[in-house]
Amino acid sequence: MSEPTTPTSQPIPVPASKSVPANAAMTRRNFLWLGWSALVVFFTASAAATARFFFPNVIYEPSQKFNAGPAKDYPMGVSLKWQNEQRVWIERNEKGFTVFWARCTHLGCTPNWFADQNRFRCPCHGSNFNIEGDVIAGPAPKPLYRCAVEIASTGDLIIDKAILENRPGFRDKSPFFAQYQATV
Amino acid sequence: MADIVTPPVSPNGRKRLDFDQIKKTVIDSQIWRSIFRGGVWKDTPRDRAAHIIGNVWLHLHPVKVRKRAIEWTYTWGLGGISFMLFLILTLTGVLLMFYYRPTIDLAYRDMKDLEFAVTLGKLMRNAHRWSAQAMVVFVILHMMRVFLTAAYKKPREFNWGVGVLLLTFTLFLSFTGYLLPWDQLAIWAVTVGTNMAGASPFLGNEGPFGSLMGMRINNDIRFTLLGGTTVGENTLLRFYVLHCVAVPLLVGVLLILHFWRIRKDSFSAAPRDPNEEKVEVWPNLIVREYMAAAGCVLVILLWSVLQNAPLEVVANPNVTPNPSKAPWYFVGLQELLVYFDPWIAGVVIPTVIIIGLMAIPYLDEDPRGVGYYSIRERPFANTLFLLGIAMWFILIFIGYFCRGPNYQWYWPWESWLKVKAPPPPTWSLPMWAGGLLLLAYFGLGLVAPKLIQKDINWKKAFLWCGAALTGFSLICLFQGITWDRLPWLYFFGFAYFLFGFLVPQRYIRTLSWTRYIVTMSLVLMMMGVLLKMGLRLGFDIKYVFTLPQFSLNI
Repeated sequence: MSEPTTPTSQPIPVPASKSVPANAAMTRRNFLWLGWSALVVFFTASAAATARFFFPNVIYEPSQKFNAGPAKDYPMGVSLKWQNEQRVWIERNEKGFTVFWARCTHLGCTPNWFADQNRFRCPCHGSNFNIEGDVIAGPAPKPLYRCAVEIASTGDLIIDKAILENRPGFRDKSPFFAQYQATV
Repeated sequence: MADIVTPPVSPNGRKRLDFDQIKKTVIDSQIWRSIFRGGVWKDTPRDRAAHIIGNVWLHLHPVKVRKRAIEWTYTWGLGGISFMLFLILTLTGVLLMFYYRPTIDLAYRDMKDLEFAVTLGKLMRNAHRWSAQAMVVFVILHMMRVFLTAAYKKPREFNWGVGVLLLTFTLFLSFTGYLLPWDQLAIWAVTVGTNMAGASPFLGNEGPFGSLMGMRINNDIRFTLLGGTTVGENTLLRFYVLHCVAVPLLVGVLLILHFWRIRKDSFSAAPRDPNEEKVEVWPNLIVREYMAAAGCVLVILLWSVLQNAPLEVVANPNVTPNPSKAPWYFVGLQELLVYFDPWIAGVVIPTVIIIGLMAIPYLDEDPRGVGYYSIRERPFANTLFLLGIAMWFILIFIGYFCRGPNYQWYWPWESWLKVKAPPPPTWSLPMWAGGLLLLAYFGLGLVAPKLIQKDINWKKAFLWCGAALTGFSLICLFQGITWDRLPWLYFFGFAYFLFGFLVPQRYIRTLSWTRYIVTMSLVLMMMGVLLKMGLRLGFDIKYVFTLPQFSLNI
């Protein structure tokens, strides 16, 4: 490139990038690659950061564990005592306690207990569950969840709605079933 | 002519106010001239054109427009009315914001204050609620008008897509809006709606393949919407921001794009002959727009005076009203949720509807029938589109009028106090049978109409179909199905045979393979919804095909 070429001379083929030594100034092509890549990285990172922004590190929700009072106060059958406050049904039979989370596994409404039909029935899409929590009609895809339950040394029922189970074989054992025989 | 202005004199000799003179003085004053561009108004064609071009609000209009494009009986003013309702909603919405605080302790109290302690507060809330519902109706009607006049065809494919997005956002605005009163309708509609998001494939913690993707209750898409694990304080704030700021801004941008493309692609009433007469937009179109807008305000105001917007009791996150029903425009979706798992009814079907609607202009290549109500020229397109709309409203009818306590089936004339036997147990097909059935439905159903080259005689076909259904129903009777289920069998069987086979066979078998396959897939999915309803109502079948490991149930 030191001397001007005459119009008649053959054009010298100059491969765009290979002719430039590695330590030479950046070519236009590489510069554009770098620039556009940086832009793409920037926008991707911005999108990811914005998405992360929507996940708070602390959420102020009430504790899922509560004291349901003395076990001896519960009659046999399904108790609705805590449905309005804690959203659970407490079922007692001869052997002990099972606690159901009163949330339909379809889309999260609260079903109602019909003692005469011996089933839970959901008011939103018509799912029906039997006393075991298994689906017998309607669209719900899974059995009702049971909550972890234990009987404290004071004789109170301690229920934890954060620990849930609905698989047969697991849901009937501790901690989802609390043995209790009334000492009359 | 205007030089000699003789002041008019009343019969008793006194001077009257000369309004023409006053108007002239005002219009020619420096202040008026500085605000409104242009010279002295002489009402010439040039003036009328300049009025459109020189005004920032009006210049989204062209100067002239084809006469047919602005006839009431062509557009019915539906798009304009939708936009006017959007404006009313913006105005009343901003007014309501002055009294409304989006926290769970205050929101419901503020609604009550608006009703009882703020002068005209109730009227504004009524107007906001009724305009929102009217907007849903008018956007749907507008879409139907555009479809029936084939106005989505080239070169307006893109604008049709923008319109579909606007319909989606109209519904999303309604959805985000009805959490805000914080009453029982609000919390349960949003609980159900966001749990559907939680059932999304891959992105939701309860959806198919969700657990494979590592989705949990505190990191999935549902959590993003709620800002928590249940509908609570964060949810109310998020929905408030979406409803009042984010979505309206987005809708505003899309509206500008929508209007600009209408003008650039020229109004849809395509010229029947190349030299069709055009009229000036000022005053012809503008007057119509103002009339529609005025009528719209009048009707909304009257309705809001006469009819109060509903407000249920304050939200209780532990107790669901029985029965619990969505606002009417989502009751169709609610009814779908009875027949399909949430990830299908709540995610896949709406997505397919939106994408399918947007795909229509690219599937329908036939250039005929643009710019007028073309029923004869486009039997397939119109039939299937109207069938889809009809299905949506039939679902709404069922959900709204035929569902009673525990969401059980009650005919509209039956009392809800009547005690009914609980629903019979449901069952699922074995995996091999369901798989084969699905394969046959989508495999054979997809190619059969195109492979049969001859025109089918519909009368004979109906007889064969009737005979087959009767034979099948006899088998069913012997298997213990009660006779009152048989109407469902006939209804859904005939509906599929007519709309899923005969109509496509006659009208779209000549399409190219790609277009044919895409169109036919959409048709089969739509008819599949009907057939699944039939299987549930007639035979109590819960799932045709199920893979419980992946929560994949169809």
